[in-house]
Amino acid sequence: MKKTIAIILLLAVNAMAEDLSGKWSGEFRVDGGDHGVPQLFMFRQNGNTLTGSGGPNTSEQYPIENGKVDGNRIMFEITTGEWKFTYDLKATGERITGTLELKSVNDRRTATVSLNKMK
Amino acid sequence: MVILGVTGSIIEFEPELDRVFHPHLSFITPGSRILSLSEMGDAVSQRFGGEPVVAYLPSLSPGLSYQVVLPRGIVYVNQYTGEVLGLRERGQTFLGYVRALHVRLAFGSVGKNIVRWSGAAMVFSLVSGLYLWWPTKQVRVRGDWRSRLFLFDLHNSVGIFSFLVLTLLAVTGTVIGFEDQLAPLIYKLTSSAQLQTTYAAIPEPTPGALLITPDQAVTIARTRIPGAVPYRVQMPKYGSLYQVALQSPNDGIGSGRNVVALDPFGNLVSLTRSGDLSTGERVLGINQALHTGVILGTPGRVAVALASAMVAPQVFSGLLLWRRRTQDPLPAGRSTKEQSAS
Repeated sequence: MKKTIAIILLLAVNAMAEDLSGKWSGEFRVDGGDHGVPQLFMFRQNGNTLTGSGGPNTSEQYPIENGKVDGNRIMFEITTGEWKFTYDLKATGERITGTLELKSVNDRRTATVSLNKMK
Repeated sequence: MVILGVTGSIIEFEPELDRVFHPHLSFITPGSRILSLSEMGDAVSQRFGGEPVVAYLPSLSPGLSYQVVLPRGIVYVNQYTGEVLGLRERGQTFLGYVRALHVRLAFGSVGKNIVRWSGAAMVFSLVSGLYLWWPTKQVRVRGDWRSRLFLFDLHNSVGIFSFLVLTLLAVTGTVIGFEDQLAPLIYKLTSSAQLQTTYAAIPEPTPGALLITPDQAVTIARTRIPGAVPYRVQMPKYGSLYQVALQSPNDGIGSGRNVVALDPFGNLVSLTRSGDLSTGERVLGINQALHTGVILGTPGRVAVALASAMVAPQVFSGLLLWRRRTQDPLPAGRSTKEQSAS
């Protein structure tokens, strides 16, 4: 019985630690780019599903599409117009890092992303 | 430099080439009445499983189709009949790759650094070439095409005829390559700053307030910037606001920088006019327009494409002359400087 409770508690703590819901800010840097582009996300995690919005600032937010959380791996897409942003990130505590693929109708670029959880 | 020249001459006409590669999506027969954006959006959304519209890209020419942006790709629509002409998914294409080669050799930061320093190297090559050309002032091609004289004359003639445009391209290209580093200096020298878009607080919607349509957003935007023509309408689901970008032909450099942002109820949230661009932004815009030739319209673009195409023959003829520097001497009577130049 004690063992079961301990496992449940451990899983509960683990699940709470991985909850990404909240505000995350940082930047992405396109390969070959000289400067970072600001990023601000409002994540809402419900199980393995990630929703919410993201963009450069609070005034310009785009809906998160096809958001998934698999362990500490986070995948989602944002369409900003001609460009589609496909994120493949990894959460480590209060920090998220990973890669971003940007695709337009003629172009494809890659970028690195780094985000920190806002208090 | 050869890569920059060849790719530069191709991407000079990138929009036109893109349309030539996709004629069935691009070209339409003008009709008498243009459908509303909502009508087009509904037709497209219905065709693609109710997918929401991200943005509309109205064409600026009556013979070119409108584009409706969806999350899955760009849909081309005949704006007179509502016919969906086809979908293009996002991703790298030949023209995109050519552009990537021109900007960064399709190779990230290393490629970008090579490109920007190549611009500086090209300025040096052109100036040294002019110095070597000056004593002979050769502007015609003589001799058998296999001879060294032919190569020498070809290098001189092509070089001097394309000198001004190539120097302009090399200097402006170097400025673009180092723009992040040079922009602060340009703003400082012109005592100006980058135009910042300020957003008004979005008012709470009044009870019963109606959401506006994209067509109403365009109408409101056009009253804010009279005479301007919309070329992009971003829907509020994507970016929180209607963002209507307009081109005003009378504004010259930066004529496409007009943006009217409205909340979903039609209240003005921000207004950016190309006429409000700072001096520093205009300097950078002029540099860009010189580099692409658009400052002089189609003749300027043709001149840029032709001059860019001349880089490859110049480099190859220069290399051949250097390789054959000890063979087949130039005719007697030429100056020492001319001999050494070849």
